Amino acid sequence: MAVDDMPVPTPPVSSARPGTLQRVDDWVEERLGWHQLAGVLLHVRVPIRAKTFFFGGITLFLFGVQIATGTLLALYYKPTPEAAYDSVIFITSDLDFGWLIRSVHHWAANLMILFLVLHMIRIFFQAAYKYPRELTWIVGMGLLGVTMLFGFTGYLLPWDQRAYWATVVGTEIAGGIPIIGDFALEVLRGGADVTEATLSRFFGIHVLVLPLMLGAIVAVHLVFVHQQGLADPKEADPRPPAVPTGRTKPFFPNYILEEVIAWLFLLAILVVMASIWPAGLEEEANPLVTPEHTKPEWYFLGVYELLKHIPIKVVGILTPVVFLAILALLPFLDRNPEIRARKRPVAIFLGIVTIAVLIGLTIWGYVS
Amino acid sequence: MRIPTDARRRLRRARLILLGAPIVLVALLVGGSPAAAQDPEPTPSLIPGPPAPTPIAHPGGSGDNQCAACHVSLDDKQQAITQAWQEGIHGKGGIGCADCHGGDPRSDQITVAMSEEAGFIGIPSRDDTVGICGSCHSDPERMGQYGLPTDQYSKYWTSVHGQRLLEADDTKVAICIDCHGSHAVKKASDPTSDVYPLNVPQLCSRCHSDPTLMESYGIPTDQYATYEQSVHGQALIGNQDVRAPSCTSCHGSHAAQPPRSSEVVDVCGKCHTATQDLYLESRHAELETAAPKCWTCHGTHDVAKSSEALFFHPEDDPPDYECTTCHEPPDMTLKLNVEQFDNEADRRCDTCHHPESLIYPQVEAIAGALAGASSAQETAAEKVERARSLGMLVDDAENALAEALTAYVQGQAAVHTTLLTTISGHTDESVAKANRAEELAQGKLDESDFRRMAMIVVIGLLLANVVILYYVLRRIEHGQDQGQDAEPSP
Repeated sequence: MAVDDMPVPTPPVSSARPGTLQRVDDWVEERLGWHQLAGVLLHVRVPIRAKTFFFGGITLFLFGVQIATGTLLALYYKPTPEAAYDSVIFITSDLDFGWLIRSVHHWAANLMILFLVLHMIRIFFQAAYKYPRELTWIVGMGLLGVTMLFGFTGYLLPWDQRAYWATVVGTEIAGGIPIIGDFALEVLRGGADVTEATLSRFFGIHVLVLPLMLGAIVAVHLVFVHQQGLADPKEADPRPPAVPTGRTKPFFPNYILEEVIAWLFLLAILVVMASIWPAGLEEEANPLVTPEHTKPEWYFLGVYELLKHIPIKVVGILTPVVFLAILALLPFLDRNPEIRARKRPVAIFLGIVTIAVLIGLTIWGYVS
Repeated sequence: MRIPTDARRRLRRARLILLGAPIVLVALLVGGSPAAAQDPEPTPSLIPGPPAPTPIAHPGGSGDNQCAACHVSLDDKQQAITQAWQEGIHGKGGIGCADCHGGDPRSDQITVAMSEEAGFIGIPSRDDTVGICGSCHSDPERMGQYGLPTDQYSKYWTSVHGQRLLEADDTKVAICIDCHGSHAVKKASDPTSDVYPLNVPQLCSRCHSDPTLMESYGIPTDQYATYEQSVHGQALIGNQDVRAPSCTSCHGSHAAQPPRSSEVVDVCGKCHTATQDLYLESRHAELETAAPKCWTCHGTHDVAKSSEALFFHPEDDPPDYECTTCHEPPDMTLKLNVEQFDNEADRRCDTCHHPESLIYPQVEAIAGALAGASSAQETAAEKVERARSLGMLVDDAENALAEALTAYVQGQAAVHTTLLTTISGHTDESVAKANRAEELAQGKLDESDFRRMAMIVVIGLLLANVVILYYVLRRIEHGQDQGQDAEPSP
């Protein structure tokens, strides 16, 4: 890690008497010694050749958007089958800017998964999961899992037909896991069927358990990234660790400013999506009327399509589980220390095939 | 065993009595539409049917059936008959071969089991078959355990089929086995049965769509094809909706006959009860036989979805006004020429109520009231759809629109009263609800416009921020370049 010794910018002092800001800063510094902390956190350097495309930072930004909009939604949302649907209508139709908050929450959830996956793909092709970042990759897989759980639990909350039946099907799939299937189904649903118990536990998990989990895992992920610095896509990290030799630039303010510009673009995209395609709502959930077509959200469509075509149910359910396990253990399975794409043709080929298959299955699931 | 001698004698006597009866009566009974039955109609005197014979008596009990043991291993035909019987309701219920064919079911010897001494009658004649079925099925004691009615036999003799059999000994008419089958009799509630409600139109059409068979009766053969296209046919055949009427719903089954003109309102009213009540409030109902009935406007087998088109002929194709359409010479009393309404294009109010008539303005006002409500709904529906396509939640507008439709449908039904005030009460309510729906939808459209405008402003602000931050970044980088900040790290 490279700590820059550049001083924290201070406001210009125009007179002998220090400005209010300076005085507050001095007051805090005297008590906390926070300049050192800020220095450790912010004044690191990143390789000039690092190409992050800001995918990870954007995912983090979207998590922040979800916390902000989710908190506002939770103020009005009522997690009972009798009131949930009406409260969502109230938020969307009657509450001032409720439509905006709900639609931004809806789209940010989708974009968060999209950017998380893009971030993973970037890490894979730049081989940034290799030494010394194996643990960061595994923690990142945890983030993927928790984010998918966010999507799964949040999907039920509007309590419309699509939400209800997607949850019925989703939990049914979990129930097909060998040995623990019945137990998993019971735990997820809080009983034999998707009922009030399911709604209240999905709500609790969505607004309490998962945010705390994601927050904690993100913190660990960021600490790891901070300790290791950003990977240089052209040159493997020296082993044993040594100070990198490539050209660098300051993380603060250069990289942070670039990141914030990317965030502002994302915010603009969110506003456009929320304004042009506001979050909709189907008929209220009715356990007695099964809709003709029940499909999960796009990020589960690949698995959904896969399950349809694998005749043995257990194999169908275990396939994505095994795939995720292989993905999580990738840094230990791929022992090739090389990071340049040309020197790792098998990994690149398998990566492209995997992405193509996933996209293919998703499109197939969408049109079928 | 055969039908008892006294019953056969009565049957023969009945045939003799009516041997010279006018053919008109037959035509009246088998006529395809109520139009064939002119009012006032003479109530046709029915030939009484014979009393139900006693069931065939044979030795042995219900468990004895050696017949099947041999017949199942005879030729393919006999094997098929035996299997059909075994799978049918009679085979399962212990009704054996001898119960219909006579003979001794205890014996497996052909000379004993199928001997005249044992009362073997072979294949019953079509004449006798009705009596054989009726002998058990009209017996309340036997049928009680199955919860079956016992009036089929007596009803059959009142039907056009039964009357024709009595009157002309015409064995081509439908008898029990033509609809229910002989050996493979199934419950009417069994979906694979020919008499299951969804299968009834096909069943009747087997004979009634056969021009050769129907020719001698002078009955048209297009009823099935017409019915299939009607709202009733589409619901029953197309949507497999057992609630929809089949042939038997209007004509009866065992007592099948065309409804007489005076009965039509009650026949349709069996299902359309509310509409019947409204019709009975109308001036049309007061005029009784002189005025239109359900079929005058809606047709018979070809009932179509009613619409505002039923009010007037198209402007470019006005009706040919004839006094005799509504007035009967020589004294020109009020009476519909019912045959004119066989033509679908003439099933319109202005076929009778011509533009110079006193009633015409009222017909116009009723049509106008419905058209106004209809148009208000269309306008509202178009806006609701537009708002929905923009992603807006339109539940409240849809609810108002559904209420508008309800009031409109009530208005449509109220047309049967012919009372303008009653109809416009509903259509005014429909217009008010449609206007409310339009107002709500317009609110959503305005909201959507606002969102898009606000979006442009917000995007502008965000981009301004991007530009400023980019400028700041460049300034910082410039400063760093000056200070040789981008040096390799130490």
